[in-house]
Amino acid sequence: MVRLFLIQTFLWLACGMVAEAQDARHEIAAATLLKGEAAQIKALNGLMGQADDAIFPLLEAWRKDRLFLYEANGKTVPVLLVGAKDKEGMQAAERIDTGKPLVDEKGAAIRLNAEDLNAVAHSANLRRVMKAVLDLTDLASSEPAKRRSALAAIGQAQQLEKLPALEKRLAVEKDADVLAALHEAIALVRLKSPDRAVKVAALKELEQIQSLASTDFIATVEKEAKLAKDENLAVHAHTTLLAINRHRSVVDFGGTLFRSLSLGSILLIVALGLAITFGLMGVINMAHGEMIAIGAYTTYVVQNVFAAGLALSPFGFSVMIPGLHATGWFKESYFLFALPLSFLTAAVAGILLERGVIRFLYRRPLESLLATWGVSLLLQQLLRLTFGANNVQVGSPSYLSGNWVVADILLGWNRIFVIAFAALIVFGVWLLLTKTPVGLLIRAVTQNRAMASCMGVRTERVNTLTFALGSGLAGLAGAFLSQIGNVGPSLGQSYIVDSFMVVVVGGVGNLVGTIISGLGIGSFDQFVQQYSPSVAGALTEVPWVGGFLQNLAQDSAVFGKILVLCAIILFLQWRPSGLFAVRSRNLD
Amino acid sequence: MNIPRLSSILTVGALALATLVSPVKAEETVKVGVLHSLSGTMAISETSLRDVLLFTFDEINAKGGVLGRKIEPVVVDGASNWPLFAEKAKQLLEQDHVAVTFGCWTSVSRKSVLPVYEKNNGLLFYPVQYEGEEESKNVAYTAEAVNQQATPAVDYLLAQGVKKFYLLGSDYVYPQTTNLVLLEYLLSKGVPIENIGGGFRKDASGKIISAGKYTPFGHTDYQQIVAEIKQFAAGGGAAVVSTLNGDTNVPFFKEYAASGLTAETCPVVSFSISEDEFRGLPADKLVGQLGCWTYFQSIKSPANKKFVADFQAWLAKSTVPGIVKEGRVTCSPMVLSYDGVYLWKACVEKAGSFDVDKVREVWKSGVSFNGPGGKVTTQPNMHLTKNVFIGETKADGQFKILKSFDNVYGEPWLKGKFK
Repeated sequence: MVRLFLIQTFLWLACGMVAEAQDARHEIAAATLLKGEAAQIKALNGLMGQADDAIFPLLEAWRKDRLFLYEANGKTVPVLLVGAKDKEGMQAAERIDTGKPLVDEKGAAIRLNAEDLNAVAHSANLRRVMKAVLDLTDLASSEPAKRRSALAAIGQAQQLEKLPALEKRLAVEKDADVLAALHEAIALVRLKSPDRAVKVAALKELEQIQSLASTDFIATVEKEAKLAKDENLAVHAHTTLLAINRHRSVVDFGGTLFRSLSLGSILLIVALGLAITFGLMGVINMAHGEMIAIGAYTTYVVQNVFAAGLALSPFGFSVMIPGLHATGWFKESYFLFALPLSFLTAAVAGILLERGVIRFLYRRPLESLLATWGVSLLLQQLLRLTFGANNVQVGSPSYLSGNWVVADILLGWNRIFVIAFAALIVFGVWLLLTKTPVGLLIRAVTQNRAMASCMGVRTERVNTLTFALGSGLAGLAGAFLSQIGNVGPSLGQSYIVDSFMVVVVGGVGNLVGTIISGLGIGSFDQFVQQYSPSVAGALTEVPWVGGFLQNLAQDSAVFGKILVLCAIILFLQWRPSGLFAVRSRNLD
Repeated sequence: MNIPRLSSILTVGALALATLVSPVKAEETVKVGVLHSLSGTMAISETSLRDVLLFTFDEINAKGGVLGRKIEPVVVDGASNWPLFAEKAKQLLEQDHVAVTFGCWTSVSRKSVLPVYEKNNGLLFYPVQYEGEEESKNVAYTAEAVNQQATPAVDYLLAQGVKKFYLLGSDYVYPQTTNLVLLEYLLSKGVPIENIGGGFRKDASGKIISAGKYTPFGHTDYQQIVAEIKQFAAGGGAAVVSTLNGDTNVPFFKEYAASGLTAETCPVVSFSISEDEFRGLPADKLVGQLGCWTYFQSIKSPANKKFVADFQAWLAKSTVPGIVKEGRVTCSPMVLSYDGVYLWKACVEKAGSFDVDKVREVWKSGVSFNGPGGKVTTQPNMHLTKNVFIGETKADGQFKILKSFDNVYGEPWLKGKFK
């Protein structure tokens, strides 16, 4: 049935094209030559609702700077460059008004270079009109996402003349999400209706679908009603607003919960490695941040190996890493290869660090602090010399960029991935430590080294292995951080404090504590960020510092950090050894 | 920390001694100070300015110098350390007796050296967009004043039908002051206060003392802020005015793109991202977002084409130790440094002297130079009249110019001006 309808539409469009193609082409060609934005907008508005196959490609080309003005003999001809570029960058040119190749006086086809021509200009206003024209064409698009974004734009524009076209779609649209968007768009447009009853019905509809996007428009209705002394309508609008705002607070809460989980997972991932090296082994490893940076740079290198390769010049030597020139899904899959590799690279770096420095300092925590700090500075400089002082760019594969919207709550794919992976590696570490022979050895050595040694455990080797595991986990964290933030030589510095904070609050030597404290600190920070501006008013009641606090609470990002630190200080006064204190003879 | 400082003082001291010993050389040249951070956090941006200054000096020297004397650059490193900037400035003025200094990037470094220049009656050329509210006779502000960047950008957005503005910035003097001026400007243009997002801070009497949302340097978690912007922009017609500095732009724009916000649904106009900053940013996440500067590398003028080509050629041949040669671009602070040197040259030649007071008098009388970004003219208030461009970012890290404002008069005192 749908297919039949589509075929019919297509046939109708095709017939229309024969009749109208000339006109739309001519109109667009004339519009490109018009001087002044207003005149161009007027011309393009004339295309609204026209069903012509030429409109879409031409307006798309205009928006994307592929329409050019060719000037010859004092005349300007708008052209579209088509076909492949030859060696000199020349392409075949097609006249916009006729759709035929551009020819000189003798009738020979003219080839042009895009570099030599001026693209037809367009402003954001003009693009908005083009979008409105295309939106109506987009309503029949085969992609639901496109139909939805077109509907959102039409709703916001609130043009009553588009209403019939929208109402027609009601009977045709089958996709549930798009149908919801369609109802929302129709209701929004109807808010502009001169008929009061239609307005009230539209308000009811918006209240029912809990449309968050509509609040500005409803507020306008309320304001206008008050001006027109229409108290009844104003009250209607107000109750609708209240209902939608109630829904908004639920969405806010859900969103905050999700963001808490995501920030908590990141804290957990960066701290997990440290929970092993510092928590279990008792080494104050100030180079933990640099292990994270090594993981992130590994991701960067892997990304470039999958693309065009990488030229590095550490210490003045020129090193060329060849690239695979991968394309498509294989190129996108680089991140899956980068994960184990960043673990391995950081683990190897950890082994070198343990064998080279830390093993001499196991009984001297202060010296190990100083030594690893030195190593951290050294590694930072090494990264700077190898990869340059600038941040490097790590792209997100398409499966990590995008989002889901569940009940108006935005869930970013990268965040979902981080949460899932945090859960996975925590589970993996737990399995390793509690269910494998290696885990048994690690626990034995970290709990009582001397006794383990007496029982025949090769403590030196276990130490190296444990340190490598902790560093490798830090490397994994680096691979993740490359997806959400900066990759630069000082990347580690931004996370080292957070890592120690999580481990200390959780209780040194206790993995469960690290998990709870990571998620707890993340949630605390996000909830303060979300709700501090709304409680700012109440803070003025605090004696002396009320005004100061109130202003501080507006800067929710800073306020969140301050409160987290204060809370941690107070918490550690109460429980100096963290959430879960481990009592063992070794740590006394 | 102490040892490199001591050693650099020793080196410069030795250099000063060497110049004293060879008076013949001193006769032929004129010393010019270059005071930028070549190490530390700001080095990424400021090293580019040193490079372009050295290029400009070479270009001028090749054509015979200034008043027949070759420019002899004295390059010192402020090391992103603000008190050190003052020490270095003192050294340039009191030991090297430079005729003029080109330098500083951050406002705090400029504030730090200002007393030194005022005490010694020196002359500092300052090339980077700043918050205004300052006018010293010892500083030539080639930089963009707020009305040469922020207010034209807002004008452009208003003309595009933007009705709601979300102010977002890094927490320091430039974003705070700029946003306060912008708030007054938007209110004066009839934008209701509830359409300005980011929050307000008030003093005891209820007067707004700060507007917008601020995040600390090095902030990495923009989830909550982007969610707030997403709601702010849900009804359409919204834009973000960003004065976020440096690498905080990376997590912000990654989060922004992941949330489904685009340049079409809610454009971001950034005042701190020029072509040079793009080298460390995910360009694909910024396509279509806006920038506003007095120069873009994409300006299609013969003067600009020559400037870009000459600079690249100079880079290729350059023997400056550690200079980066690959992937270099030109940007507004670089061009304003370049314009500054030529304006100083023009002033000196018109005055017939290197004397700061005489040079300043000529500057105040109005001198013009046709630079890569078009004509710039000096003003009596030590600022510059220049063209302003609005551009849209492209995937290659360049800007496509959307609109230009010609000959905008630089006005530093804007607080309380828009009513």
